[in-house]
Amino acid sequence: MSRALKFIDCNDDPWQTATVDDAPVAMPAAEPFRLLTLAQWQAVRDSWPAALPVALVVGNDVDVETLAADLPRFAVVALQFPKWVDGRAYSQARLLRARFRFAGEIRATGEVLADMLPLLQRTGFDAVALRPDQSLAVARRALGFFAEGHYQGDLVEPRPLFARAAAA
Amino acid sequence: MYRYTDFDRRFVRQRAAQFRDQLERHLAGQLGDDEFRALRLQNGWYVQRHAPMLRVAVPYGELNSRQLRALARIAREFDGMAGGPYEGRGGGFGHFTTRQNCQFNWIALADAADVMDVLAAADMHGIQTSGNCIRNITSDCFAGVAADEIVDPRPYCEILRQWSTLHPEFAFLPRKFKIAVSGAREDRAAIAWHDIGLQLKKNSAGEVGFDVLVGGGMGRTPVIGTLIREFLPWQQVLVFIEAIVRVYNRYGRRDNLYKARLKILVKAEGQKFIDAVGAEFAAMLERDLDGSAHLLTDGELARISASFVLVPEGVVPETGPHVDRVVRSAAAGPAYGRWLERNVHAHRLPGYRAVSLSLKRAGQPPGDASAAQMEGAADLADRFSLGELRVSHDQNLVLPWVRVSDLEALWAAARDAGFATPNLGYLTDMIACPGGDLCGLANARSIPIAAALDERFDDLAELHDIGDIDLHISGCINSCGHHHTGHIGILGVDKDGQEWYQISLGGSDGSALSGAPVPGKVIGPSFAADEVPDVVEALIDVYRHERRGPGEHFIDAVRRVGLDPFKAAASAARHATAVHA
Repeated sequence: MSRALKFIDCNDDPWQTATVDDAPVAMPAAEPFRLLTLAQWQAVRDSWPAALPVALVVGNDVDVETLAADLPRFAVVALQFPKWVDGRAYSQARLLRARFRFAGEIRATGEVLADMLPLLQRTGFDAVALRPDQSLAVARRALGFFAEGHYQGDLVEPRPLFARAAAA
Repeated sequence: MYRYTDFDRRFVRQRAAQFRDQLERHLAGQLGDDEFRALRLQNGWYVQRHAPMLRVAVPYGELNSRQLRALARIAREFDGMAGGPYEGRGGGFGHFTTRQNCQFNWIALADAADVMDVLAAADMHGIQTSGNCIRNITSDCFAGVAADEIVDPRPYCEILRQWSTLHPEFAFLPRKFKIAVSGAREDRAAIAWHDIGLQLKKNSAGEVGFDVLVGGGMGRTPVIGTLIREFLPWQQVLVFIEAIVRVYNRYGRRDNLYKARLKILVKAEGQKFIDAVGAEFAAMLERDLDGSAHLLTDGELARISASFVLVPEGVVPETGPHVDRVVRSAAAGPAYGRWLERNVHAHRLPGYRAVSLSLKRAGQPPGDASAAQMEGAADLADRFSLGELRVSHDQNLVLPWVRVSDLEALWAAARDAGFATPNLGYLTDMIACPGGDLCGLANARSIPIAAALDERFDDLAELHDIGDIDLHISGCINSCGHHHTGHIGILGVDKDGQEWYQISLGGSDGSALSGAPVPGKVIGPSFAADEVPDVVEALIDVYRHERRGPGEHFIDAVRRVGLDPFKAAASAARHATAVHA
């Protein structure tokens, strides 16, 4: 499950919201590279072409189990950090990967700070849209402090230390 | 006690390096105050009223003498920051807390990373001693040596410590999260007052399991934990706790700081919460990829337990009919007898005792120890207790491996070092937070109240007559001084910028002496600081008048006669000027 973290440049991201004057349109047309809100998706899901991948923005109070049936249709699930110290999306990502086997991109959006990167990576995120003021160099460095891994298993290394030690 | 592996050692060094990187960015202006705040908190660094405060983790209260000397070194070399009270005085103080940790109040932030290196070199850290994450695990200060122990809780505490350390999903919970573990018949860890309380048990087949309490806590809304699971097999404990914390992370309130603790969610949802945890636990094991990876194995328990052997090297259980007979030389006198009675505790091994080093003595705040005192305690541990100590929930130190034949020599040495006040369990063995003298959250000061009570109750014969009593002082509703569980609880409150003290009666932490856990009841409007000693004395006088002989403790008398006579006496102790709405 381990994969390199992708850094998203918001100015150069193919996935675009369906909005008019910054307000989400109620029934977005089926087009490639659409990044939809949950309400938009619920409005169009029955008419959306099955072969057309879509990206979904999910609030951090959403029970991701309610998305389980639709997950194969999402190329990207963008989880949100309205404040960086609000940790709900870590649980959402972990559930999407470990329980619902979501194999698409899980993207961290909102107030995403460089120092969050180890947590994001370990809970199953594989893409981050850093807050614009964040340093890419600091973010990359933040991933490197615990080269030998951690005590508990996670989405990068599912075995806890004791299982790794027993296998070694 | 737990022996660090090479992995553990490298891990705390890596954590120190990560913190240094964060600190340097902060000091260089690249990491703002708000953002650095959450990062430094998870390493134990608060910014307090006057200066940064460092809280060092003492996992489940176990320390060795080398670690205590490292704490002493921090007090000596780093606690004297410019502008602080110990500047140029050759060292400051450590403060041992009700959660078995050790705090320093006068370290310059610029030195913070160097201090973490000193700690790491002694196999210590400040990881998750604050912040909205799983905090340091607490336990019975007599774990592993208690005469009434069913199962040694320390291996499980260490397993929980490792599992919770830098858990990536649970670093930013709605609020702090505290776990306590007890393995004895007597609950000395106040487990019902924690977000999760674990009571180790053995069933008739000799298998080990946990009774799991959930949603206890102090603060503004004191709540006793609810039993969520009886006899959870030990192998499942990490999975079950992960289920609890995940439900909390997803559904705990984040809109109101005072309603964000787990206890509020458990109270609001009741059975629905219990069902949600049950469903999450089942889903983890049945549906999740690698969902059983954290089921504990015999091999893992054995690996961790190897650090906590029944009879550590250097301990020789004695045999023969007289191994527990304490010899008193003629020179020792009655002071030694009082110390034996109060500060020496039963041990599971014949010929051994656990001994409390009292950190409650006149002229020093409860739980405080200077650099020299910490070094003195480390020397005593080396000489009498295999170099091992414990920090107790009531803010004393404990030597867990003392030979009965060494007691008199230890008593003499402890007395010389200032640790032999024979007051364990007495009124002056009070719990107190640092309060408004130091803490940025406090509404009122605790230390002067503790000092005034020390002065008022300075007669040992009188303390002995009053007997066992828990007196707890918190400088604010955050309850670090556990006022809710005091037989007499004192809470600092702020009204119009002035300090007042609310007094409550009848609280219990859940120990055998105190009875089933319950918060105390407030006995009337707040008192002025200089009234507090008079009120406490009045309460004690009511008890001495009402009690049915010396066998009836203060708490028993309060329960039997009710609050009214105590309220009346407390009101009569008000000075006219102090009556306020």
